[in-house]
Parts: sequence; structure tokens; C-alpha cells
Amino acid sequence: MRISIRHQLSISPPPGTANLVLQTLLTSRNGPAQRIESWTLDLPGMENAAPFEDAFGNSAFLVNQARPEGPLLVEVNGVVETQDTHGVLGKLAGDPVPALFRRMTRLTRAPVTLYGKFRGSKDSRIDVLHALMLRVSETLDPAAAGTGAQAQMQGEDGQSQSQGGQSQGEQNATGVTEQALSLASEDDAGVVEAEGHEVAARLPRPPATDYAHLFVGAARALGIPARYVTGYLVGEGDEPGAFHAWAEAYDDKLGWIGFDAMLELCPTDRHVRLAAGLDSLSAAPLRCVPAGDGVQDLGVQIDILD
Amino acid sequence: MADKTPFDEMYNADGSVREPYRALAEWLAEQPDKALTLMQSDAEAIFRRLGITFAVYGSEEGTEKVIPFDVIPRIISAAEWRRLSKGIDQRVRALNAFLHDIYHRQEILKAGRIPEKLILQNAAFAPEMMGLDPAKGVYAHIIGVDIVRVGPDDFYVLEDNLRTPSGVSYMLEDREAMMMLAPDLFQRTKVAPVENYPENLRRTLESVAPEGSGSSPNIVVLTPGIYNSAYFEHSFLADQMGATLCEGPDLFVDGGKVYMRTTTGPERVHVIYRRIDDDYLDPLTFRPDSMLGVPGLFNAYRAGNVTLVNAPGTGIADDKAVYTYVPEIIEFYLGEKALLQNVPTYNCTDDEQRNWVLENIADLVVKEVHGSGGYGMMVGPTATKAQHQEFRRKIEARPDNYIVQPTLALSTCPTFVNAGIAPRHVDLRPYVLVGDEVRITPGGLTRVALKKGSLVVNSSQGGGTKDTWVLED
Repeated sequence: MRISIRHQLSISPPPGTANLVLQTLLTSRNGPAQRIESWTLDLPGMENAAPFEDAFGNSAFLVNQARPEGPLLVEVNGVVETQDTHGVLGKLAGDPVPALFRRMTRLTRAPVTLYGKFRGSKDSRIDVLHALMLRVSETLDPAAAGTGAQAQMQGEDGQSQSQGGQSQGEQNATGVTEQALSLASEDDAGVVEAEGHEVAARLPRPPATDYAHLFVGAARALGIPARYVTGYLVGEGDEPGAFHAWAEAYDDKLGWIGFDAMLELCPTDRHVRLAAGLDSLSAAPLRCVPAGDGVQDLGVQIDILD
Repeated sequence: MADKTPFDEMYNADGSVREPYRALAEWLAEQPDKALTLMQSDAEAIFRRLGITFAVYGSEEGTEKVIPFDVIPRIISAAEWRRLSKGIDQRVRALNAFLHDIYHRQEILKAGRIPEKLILQNAAFAPEMMGLDPAKGVYAHIIGVDIVRVGPDDFYVLEDNLRTPSGVSYMLEDREAMMMLAPDLFQRTKVAPVENYPENLRRTLESVAPEGSGSSPNIVVLTPGIYNSAYFEHSFLADQMGATLCEGPDLFVDGGKVYMRTTTGPERVHVIYRRIDDDYLDPLTFRPDSMLGVPGLFNAYRAGNVTLVNAPGTGIADDKAVYTYVPEIIEFYLGEKALLQNVPTYNCTDDEQRNWVLENIADLVVKEVHGSGGYGMMVGPTATKAQHQEFRRKIEARPDNYIVQPTLALSTCPTFVNAGIAPRHVDLRPYVLVGDEVRITPGGLTRVALKKGSLVVNSSQGGGTKDTWVLED
């Protein structure tokens, strides 16, 4: 599938900022399931930016802008040819060791009720991952409310999962309740990530982020390397395209395989992969200091070409 | 081990003087009454004038104190030093190889020689460092290795310091003071010089400048500021090696490169000897609330435009839980047996070992895995019953948070105290520089527990320092 993408974001630095410093993870790379025909990233300061590869194998830029004025517009334009590999990416050159992606982070804690039943499973890793994908989907999908896991995870207040909207300030980005998070303590590896990262815009917003975090956290708790992935999704039918997030898990034979728990499928040719990281923080498409009002997503325009 | 009479570095059991101390013993015998008392007060005046002070955390006055200096030097023979420095050299090469591996292919984890969880789930492991290739492949450029001695030939490494080890300014000032106080003593003995440390530091830092920095790369010392307990040392070292001392706001990133603001405009910076902890180095990558760091600094480092000394994430190699694996690390990367021994360490997550520890806690030393500077530790033989009980509870609650070691009978050196000359326990922190080559300053910093019988040498806990001599053949 040949896809054109146009994504706009804006940053509003606080008045009087002397030097705005940004990091972008908005550059898509060639891969087994996609070929980049053209890709541009435009923002003030880009002519002077330093390209680098981040710790997770992503193409990143360090950009700065002295005395920025007003909101800054960031624009991504790309044309990508995708193909459906049933989510299988294999082993990519330049990827960090898969074991790195067993590291738990604060955002990827998953309750043991989610993954406990897969412990010591005799099934193949692929089967376990598929089952886990469905389980995450059931758990977060309100349509499935009333199932045992759902009731248990939502706690007594019956709080529903955050559905899109402007919940950027929400720190428990998995969207599960505190009670559910506390259940994770059994397998809490004791890693303390810096608290209160306000810098990064955790785009995309829930629910895609929640599904990806929960899947990643549960897979890691089962000892399977898993990573958080950002990208673009071609809408189905009349649905508009969107900035999206899913997960990838590692199989010793097949390598990396994508799992989109929100859509309950492995990524298809509708998915354009952008960046991967430990969680939505480390894969944040844009982060800046000073943070000001953060990053605003102005929307994505995705068209299928020919 | 706790019951043994500690090894005295100056006197044999029969009262005769050990060879390295012969000249010192003669000199001491010749000194008129009160000479040492006078030296001691002169020393205090010298240190006050030099402005060498430190702040003690948690002290109510928050005042600057002069670290006590003992006028009797500690002496190491040429042969002893050769052995020690070989072991140190081996250790720092292995630890740098370990850091490179941990932040690349992680072969040592794949080989199962160190539990993967201990590294990957460790707070001191910096995932941001993955795949980064620092100049010359060096991660820890400035290292302090804490060594204790328990017998004529028995040295143990107590811990490795690969983050931002401090105290080297005391080593330099102790020597300077000693040469002023007892110039005649230096004429009787050939003591290996330490005063070239700042020059070696500069050469080391220059050797790891990013490619294309030219023949004289710009080096700065980055300090958290005047309220840091080691601020004196930061300014001292910058001054001694002719580098600029700066704080976070003095630096900025432009076009992926780092610049320093000066009265004549921005000046490119190539190497940063940073004395700011990883977490506070760059709010864009690490703690966003840091006011001490430089936004974008870490990415400029990743882009290869500046060198950070030491690299972030080196703490994974001096983590107290990883420490127990250092002999394993040396074997894995160098194919050699460790020349310097580790202190035997009990693993409290093992039921059998933990039960033994809980029963024998009164004889043991308990250290918090992430503690430093003598905080959060308990020395069994000198602790109260209530403290034993408290640490039993702590270990039971979080066995992985503590390491436990036997109480070592640290060697003693004659020390001038109120009661005259008396033996006091000492340790040793040699300073190592790693760049284009490994440079070890002969000797290092000797810390001495001034309280009789005390085994805690940390300056924050009432320890002092001594000039440390390595004799030349």
C-alpha cells in the first residue's frame, strides 16, 4: 500500500525562553514492512539540527531555537510503501539487544491478574503473545465490561478507562486504576524511573498508549522482550488516519513481531512504523525543554495513493 | 576475622620497624618534644589558608570544616605498590570492557555469568547509553578504587568508584602540606611524586576529545555549584589543569554542539569533566526538573560532538550488588584471574546465607546497596544491640537492598592523636585515569579513622587523611 502522511504538531514555549531544545523521534526508517519513498521533517531550527541515533535504534534529531516566538509548528510529510508481513519484522540490523526490552519501567507495570495465567504456559511463545493480545484487549475494552478480569482491574469505583480526549496530564498512562497497579508489586522489579516526566508529549493519547503499555508490561513480566512502538495508522473505511501506538515482542526464531492489542491484530500494511522504545516516554515523538504548555497534536492527514 | 590483632603497617609484632618505615622512625625519634604538636597546628593553618573545606550533610550548623590531617605519613614500599597498581590496572580495564559490553551486545549476560535481572532492572543501568560509542571506548575515565589491607600481603578491594569519585584534591594538598611541614623528611627518602596528577588528568581528558576537536580541545569542569560538598575540589582541579569551571547555565547546546558563554561570545566545548550526577545532567533526557544540567547535552554526546567524563551509566559497574561479580568480570573479559581480592560478601537473598547473617550480625558489616559515604551502613562490632535489631529487620524486609561483609581488621598506621602517637585504622583510595592509556597516581588518598578502634574512615563520619607515600626503588 502506498501511503502519504502529513502530521502537524505545535509547541508553545514559555514567554522569554532563551533557548528551546527539542528532541524529535519523527523520522520513519526503511524496514521489512515498509519502504520510505520520501520523508521530511520541518520545524524552526531544523536547518541547524544534529542527527543522531538514539539508544533504541531510532533516527532522532537534536534541534534548538534561540528566543523562539509564539507556537512553533512541526510538520512531518512522508510517502511510504507498506506491505503486510503479518507483523513479523525479524531481526533488524542496528537493533539493540532484545534483552534490553525486558526492563520494567514505571509506565509499563502490568497487574499480575493480566498475565498470571500465562506463566509457565506450555504453548509456544507466539501463541502466548496472541492470547495475551486478546486478553489486553478484553481488559481495556469497555464493551467487555463485566468479565472477571475487567471487574477486578477497575476497582470499586468502576472507573472507566480513559478514552481518547485530552488526558495528557494523566500520569498512570496505562489507564488502569491504582488498585490494579498495586497488584503489580509482586513482580515489581524495583526499578525506579524518574517521577513526573512532564517534558515529553506522550502522543499518541490513550487508548492506544494504554493497550501498548499494558501489553508490553505483561510480556516483560513473562520474561519476553517487548517494546513500545509509535507510528501511523491508515483508517478503515471512513475512519480518519491517526497517530498510533502498538507493541512489538521478541521471538527467538522469528525476531520482532508487532502486536496491536487495540485492534486485536498484528500490524498490517495499514501500519507505518516510526520509532520504538521502552515506553511512551522513551519513544515520545517530541520532547522539549522548557516544556511550557507541552506539545499539541494538530492532527494527521493520511491518504492512500493509487 | 574480627578478633585478630590488626596489622600494623609500621611495627612488626616484636616491636621492630618494618623496612618502608625505617627513615620515618629515625626522623620521628629525632624530633624534639612538642614538634608534632606544632606541626599539627601548622598543618591546620595551612589547610585553612588553602581553603580546603568540606560540608557535612545533615550537620546542623551546615558549616564548612577542615578535614583533619595527620602529620605522620602512610608509607607503601615500591614492591607493594607494583603489586597493587597491577591489580588496579587490571580492574579498571575489565570494568571498562564490562561497561562497553553491557551497553552493546551484553555477552556476559548471554553467557549467564551475571544474572540479567541484576543489570537490566538496576536503577544504575542507563538504557539511554545503549549503542553509544564513547571516544577511545572509555566509559570510566576517572576512578577511585577503595582498598583495605589486613596483612603484610593481604589487600582487598572494598569498592570501586566509577561515577564521580572525589578526594583527589586532598591527596594533592596533603602532599603539599607535608612538604612544607617536613621538608627534611623528603630529603631522606625517595617518594614518588603525585603533583603531576592535574597534568595527567588534562592529558587524559584531551585524549578522549571527540574527533575533529583539533590539537587543543576545550575542556571544562561542570560543577553543581558552590553548595556542593566537593565544590572546593571542582574549582581546585579546574584551576590546576587550566580548565574553565562552569555551571549548567554557563553552557548551552546549539546545532548539536556544546558552547560556553563567555564575555567574548560563545566558545565551543569539547570535553566536559562533569561532577554532576547522571540524573541531573540533562533535563531533556534525564530528570526534567533538573536546574543543574544542560538541556540537550546528552544528545550532543550521542551525536559525537562532546565527550562526557565519566560517561553516564558507569554506576552499573560500581553498584554494590555488581561488585561481588568483579572477579568474574575480570576473568570474562581479560581471561585472567583477579590480582586483587574482593571482600567476601554474603548474599541475603539466599535463605541459608541470610539466616547465617541474621545470627551473626554483631560481627558483620551491613551496607545499603545504594548508600555511599558511610551513610546507611552498620558496623556490627561497634553498633548497639538496638542497631543490630534494626538492621536485622531491614534485611528481612528487603534482603536485596543490603550486602553483608565480615568486619575486616583494617591495618593501622601510627597517627598523632591527643594521647601521642597511636595506631589508627586506615584505608586507601588510589586514583586512576583512563584515556589513551591507564595512568595511576602512586599512592592515593589515605583515610584514617581518628577515633580509637573505629573502622569508619569517611570524612563525613569523623575520619581524617594522611599523606601517602610510595617509595621509589
